[in-house]
Amino acid sequence: MPQYKAPLRDINFVLKNVLNCNEHFASLAGREQVGEDLVDAIIAEGAKFAENVLSPLNQVGDQEGCVWSEEGVKTPTGFKEAYEQFAEGGWPSMTADPKFGGQGLPNSLGLVVSEMTSSACWSWGMYTGLSQSAARLLENYAAEDLQQTYLPKMTDGTWGGTMCLTEPHCGSDLGILRTKAESAADGSYKVTGTKIFISGGEHDMMENIIHLVLARIEGAPEGTKGISLFLVPKFLPDADGNVGERNGVSCGSIEHKMGIKASATCVMNFDGATGFLVGEENRGLNAMFHMMNSARLGTALQGLSAGEASFQGALAYATERLQMRSLTGPKNPDGPADPLIVHPDVRRMLLTQKALAEGSRAFIYWVSQLIDVSYFSGDEQARKDAENLSELLTPIAKAFVTETGLESANYGMQVFGGHGYISEWGMEQIVRDLRISTLYEGTTGIQALDLLGRKVMGSGGKQLMVFTKIIHDFCKANEGKEEMAPFISKLAELNKEWGDVTMKIGEKAMENPDEVGAASVDYLMYSGYISLAYMWARMVAVALEGDRDDEFLKAKLQTANFYFQRLLPRTESHKLSMLNGAESLMAMPAEAFAF
Amino acid sequence: MPEYKAPLRDMQFVLHDVFKAEALWQGMPATEEVNRELADAILEESAKINEGLIAPLSQSGHEEGVHWNEGVVTTPKGYPEAFRQLAEGGWGGLSGAPEYGGQTMPKMLVLLFEEMLYSSNIAMGLYLTLTSGAALAIDSHASDELKQKYLPNMYSGKWTGAMCLTESHAGTDLGMIRTKAVPNANGSYDISGTKIFITGGDHDLTENVIHLVLAKLPDAPAGSKGISLFLVPKVKVNDDGSLGEANGVHCGSIEHKMGINASATCVMNFDNAEGYLVGEINRGLQGMFTMMNYERLSVGIQGLSAAQTAYQWSCEYARERLQSRAPTGPVNKDAAADPIIVHPDVRRMLLTQKALVEAGRAFAVYVGKQLDVSKFGDGEAKARAAGMVELLTPVAKAFLTDKGFEGTVLGQQVYGGHGYIREWGMEQLVRDVRIAQIYEGTNGIQAMDLMGRKVAANRAQNMQALLGEIRDFAQSADSVAGMEEFLTPLRDAVDNLESLTEYVLGEAASDANAIGAAANDYLHVVGFTLYMYMWAMMCRAVLSGDSQQGEAFATAKLQTARYFVQRLLPQTAALSQSIRSGSASLMDVAEDAFV
Ligand SMILES: Cc1cc2nc3c(=O)[nH]c(=O)nc-3n(C[C@H](O)[C@H](O)[C@H](O)COP(=O)(O)OP(=O)(O)OC[C@H]3O[C@@H](n4cnc5c(N)ncnc54)[C@H](O)[C@@H]3O)c2cc1C
Ligand SMILES: Cc1cc2nc3c(=O)[nH]c(=O)nc-3n(C[C@H](O)[C@H](O)[C@H](O)COP(=O)(O)OP(=O)(O)OC[C@H]3O[C@@H](n4cnc5c(N)ncnc54)[C@H](O)[C@@H]3O)c2cc1C
Repeated sequence: MPQYKAPLRDINFVLKNVLNCNEHFASLAGREQVGEDLVDAIIAEGAKFAENVLSPLNQVGDQEGCVWSEEGVKTPTGFKEAYEQFAEGGWPSMTADPKFGGQGLPNSLGLVVSEMTSSACWSWGMYTGLSQSAARLLENYAAEDLQQTYLPKMTDGTWGGTMCLTEPHCGSDLGILRTKAESAADGSYKVTGTKIFISGGEHDMMENIIHLVLARIEGAPEGTKGISLFLVPKFLPDADGNVGERNGVSCGSIEHKMGIKASATCVMNFDGATGFLVGEENRGLNAMFHMMNSARLGTALQGLSAGEASFQGALAYATERLQMRSLTGPKNPDGPADPLIVHPDVRRMLLTQKALAEGSRAFIYWVSQLIDVSYFSGDEQARKDAENLSELLTPIAKAFVTETGLESANYGMQVFGGHGYISEWGMEQIVRDLRISTLYEGTTGIQALDLLGRKVMGSGGKQLMVFTKIIHDFCKANEGKEEMAPFISKLAELNKEWGDVTMKIGEKAMENPDEVGAASVDYLMYSGYISLAYMWARMVAVALEGDRDDEFLKAKLQTANFYFQRLLPRTESHKLSMLNGAESLMAMPAEAFAF
Repeated sequence: MPEYKAPLRDMQFVLHDVFKAEALWQGMPATEEVNRELADAILEESAKINEGLIAPLSQSGHEEGVHWNEGVVTTPKGYPEAFRQLAEGGWGGLSGAPEYGGQTMPKMLVLLFEEMLYSSNIAMGLYLTLTSGAALAIDSHASDELKQKYLPNMYSGKWTGAMCLTESHAGTDLGMIRTKAVPNANGSYDISGTKIFITGGDHDLTENVIHLVLAKLPDAPAGSKGISLFLVPKVKVNDDGSLGEANGVHCGSIEHKMGINASATCVMNFDNAEGYLVGEINRGLQGMFTMMNYERLSVGIQGLSAAQTAYQWSCEYARERLQSRAPTGPVNKDAAADPIIVHPDVRRMLLTQKALVEAGRAFAVYVGKQLDVSKFGDGEAKARAAGMVELLTPVAKAFLTDKGFEGTVLGQQVYGGHGYIREWGMEQLVRDVRIAQIYEGTNGIQAMDLMGRKVAANRAQNMQALLGEIRDFAQSADSVAGMEEFLTPLRDAVDNLESLTEYVLGEAASDANAIGAAANDYLHVVGFTLYMYMWAMMCRAVLSGDSQQGEAFATAKLQTARYFVQRLLPQTAALSQSIRSGSASLMDVAEDAFV
């Protein structure tokens, strides 16, 4: 079972050297000033907590899983205690609004802590991650009195939260959801219906659980335009704001799953439960989707976190496990064989993991900064631009980082040979846990439609051009730097090609609406590889300015080189595939798929 | 969980319409009694027992797992009974030698039985196929006395077999094994040592387990040239064939694994167990290798099988699950949403599975054909087929399992969140098939075997023969109307593979790492090229009127082939570029710089 070690050097490199977090933090209005000391302390403390408290719970959680009974759901041994420490340490309030007791720190800093907690124990991280997402949503959309009642306790971590969207017959297609809300005389609503797959819908880690539920008010329009959002607490607060009467919400059962076994995935029954409208009637999805940008980035982060954990395990194993001799002659002549890491094919797997993890880290941290700017910049134009760009990049980050994260975790397991398949080593758990991330928070297919259909085509290509312009400017600024040349020329070429490919698909889509869906996942992966190429080029630019003898920076350059030589060529395949169009997908009648 | 239905039509299409199996069988004395009627009867019986008996035990076996208690291994409920029925049906002796009660069925046919068996239940299948594998090794190398004593009961499924190679410090690198064999005065040997990961090492299906154990004599040369092969029964067998006293063979524990939970993966302790030499002293690995060509194909088929089941189930699901509207307008107007099979991206996932599974099946049969000709044929054809077997086996093992895993994951993805939930059965398929990329030589090792031993070592002689065969095929198929769209990409793929081969061999002249650096990507290019070849052969069968499966089936074949050409084959572009980047980006990184 790999012991997690926070990759502090890389985190610091990305935050400080590549993304200039000090400048970034200073540009945010309405957030506390964040000094470098504070950043360092948060990262160091977060790392300690993740390494010492959470990492040891990961395997226990997988083995014990959650247990359901009439009384509720019991989380695995140690989960509750770890959460108590977390809450005492003030972590839940880190990025919360100071109005309700929060520390007002930027989300892009909170994300670093989430990366570490997710790497150490994915399932545990979900309880806190979802609670924080729910709190952020309420900060932005709930009426003042609701905020006053619920946010202080959600901020200090006494209460948690969930997101209740999915129903048995609808996941991607929320327009057909059936949960009902009837208005009551006192302005509240009675919410009735069944939600499934609700993460953290019931558990024993927090005193109260605040559900954010999508439902349809009686008489509301059909489809997505008739959905409203409700706050439905497990326990209704009493006059003093403490937990009072039990509300009509209960957990009917929990799912048995491939992985994330310590995260309770609940069937939630709402039987005339008292709920309170959040935001405007029939605009529930807008509020949800707005929040979802952060939640989706959170899922992208899970892909990175698990990929990182798998890389760490695989690397340690590859340097210890002795098997066969190097092709260029023994490297460990005194031992019976050489360590695995001498073999080119093992390096291929490890470097793929490394290049994906480091590239994804830079990418996600950057998108997170954009989201900070979109909320808190003092400059309105900057807010708008950042919002546009982050909306474009979020589906890329969500789907690309989770898909490649799964690839990475499978490599990590493969490096262990047969031992990778055995539970006690922990590598197969990472694959099983990670597998959820291309499914929930909108499947890869749905992210791809969002990217190509809504964001790129929907804006007539404008949203994309914001990004290709940034890349273009970056390439221009680095023109003529000799050591940058191989990276810049490839990046510039692909950046131009990206525009051309988009145009071609746009033209086809005008003739045939199926072209968008037919190209979408290839297009998303293609975009992901280019986005990571941009991040890698930025990292190269920074590394080249540093100390040439620094092994860390040398490795950065080599990993960038690996990425450009061995992974980036995948853009070519995705391009060819998507430009071949929809015909070969759509021609076959449904009956002919299997005989 | 849905039911498994054997894809009999496609199997018959491949066997009869594409490969004209009957004519081939009748041309070889050993198989001349096998005709189409018999083959079809076997396939139908096989479908019955697998669909009706073996498949229904898959999910319960997954949930229940195997139990170990004080050295006694218990398989899940229903397994001993079902195994007995398989044995009584003669399924264990299909390809066995007639002198010992086997049926000498051609591999081309037997492998389709294996496909059904693994599609139904990989874990159960292993008990039977490992027995056949062990019997094959005994048949090829053991003395007549040993054959007489052991083979009849193995073919009849009264006893099972196990292969004991791996030790805790030696998996890939068998040269390092420590298990010892000390000669006794009576010609037998005392075997002592510990083997790990032994599939079916112990269980309650049969009264005896026949182990084939790799071990070293006291004075044996170091490394792989000092390994001998021994037959070690769990219970000694008296001269009259009855069971005698227990041998010194004990199962110390079983592993907890990602999947194939119903297959016992055992730590086997040999304490001065009585063993009998099989083949010559110090030539044990050679003894294993003949059998390994069969075993590796069989493991490849596990990939195909799981993907077939995943395809079937996800296809059914996609026709039933209603979610969102088709981009071109509602097709299921009376319901709230359209079946997800209308969505281009869902079709992408289904067609990818279908294109890979159907080409995979054809490829497996093609390799089976080479095995048959190399065993039962004569003269030049026999020698040629033997060369093909050598070349194609690592591709069959690794490509079928890599693509099998990919297909299975896509099948799971079609189910959305439900794919992650155990009761639906999709997550089990993913977990079960994952092992096939690891055991029987990891896919990395297969790639090294292909590129190093099978291609570079003989200056690509066998590869050239294959490319020549494909070019001849293309020429002969030229005259069939409608073939051009398939022959052009086939010719391009062959040219590309030829030039890549030259490139890597050229690099290898001065760079010892060149082969290892290219190996995995090269194997995948070979795989895609062969799948293109299979698709072209299948299209020729259709377009030249050889297919007897009806119009709709024929059209679907052509459409799937087109999908393969347009949307999957382009993956070779990226792989080829990656190969051409050489080994530097992998090897330049210092070991310490990986962190
Ligand atoms: C462990 C777990 C935890 C979860 N946690 C939560 C939670 O906390 N809260 C919550 O509300 N939900 C949660 N979910 C639900 C999850 O978000 C949904 O499963 C997901 O959104 C997919 O919906 P679905 O399962 O209904 O799949 P479907 O929507 O039925 O999709 C099936 C397949 O069809 C494809 N598809 C559907 N529509 C289209 C289209 N228009 N075009 C192209 N392809 C399409 C999808 O990509 C997918 O491959 C969780 C699920 C799991 C398994
Ligand atoms: C469920 C299960 C069932 C099994 N059943 C059996 C059985 O019945 N009988 C039996 O004997 N064994 C069995 N095995 C063992 C299996 O065959 C081995 O695990 C496998 O051969 C790999 O060996 P290893 O685990 O020692 O990995 P290692 O050899 O340690 O390899 C680790 C990694 O290094 C790579 N690697 C190693 N050497 C090189 C090289 N020279 N060049 C490039 N890459 C290299 C490998 O590809 C792999 O990725 C089973 C294993 C499992 C998990």
